[in-house]
Amino acid sequence: MSFREKSAWTMAAVMLVAGIFYAWLVSHGAEAPVIGPLIPYVLLVIVLSVAVQIVLAIASPREAQAAADEREKQIIWRAGHRSGVVLTIGVIASGAVYVLHPFGNMLFHHMLGALIVAQISEYLLQIYYLRRGY
Amino acid sequence: MAKRPPITNRVRELREQHGQISQQALGDAVGVTRQTIIAIEQGRYSPSLETSFRIARQFGVGLEDVFGWEGE
Repeated sequence: MSFREKSAWTMAAVMLVAGIFYAWLVSHGAEAPVIGPLIPYVLLVIVLSVAVQIVLAIASPREAQAAADEREKQIIWRAGHRSGVVLTIGVIASGAVYVLHPFGNMLFHHMLGALIVAQISEYLLQIYYLRRGY
Repeated sequence: MAKRPPITNRVRELREQHGQISQQALGDAVGVTRQTIIAIEQGRYSPSLETSFRIARQFGVGLEDVFGWEGE
């Protein structure tokens, strides 16, 4: 498995774990100010991301130093492009929910949720393209 | 399954002809990863023109001695 794929797997896992943590925080305080669950979520993402990248870099120092090559750059670009569609759908769905239930806090949480899902889909698409080619 | 590009190549054959140069060594020489060389050899990725030239020059042959259009 290439360094890029390992990195994509671990970052997808980080975003999934942090996303579940964020959903749990929101479920225990939907009425609370949005900054409440947001700060611990952001801190968790930063800490986990730095930790897994350090572990990966120690495990594969040579690959970690190397810049993405032409194929990897295309894969990263294409996965980012496709995940943008996921984000767009999530944002539109969040807006639709807000029209039916106008509650600003939940609009914020739904939009952040859409961002998390889009980010996870980006890493999963990177894995797909790295394995299958295109 | 992703559609394969209609380009054939003789990269694996040329590696074997040139003293069993490894995929990693070829990748290092032309500026791509080992995984990209594997993808090229398996026909899952068509390299850029620049990388194609670099591969051909690495083996000391012309571009068309390495790459071909499927069906020709």
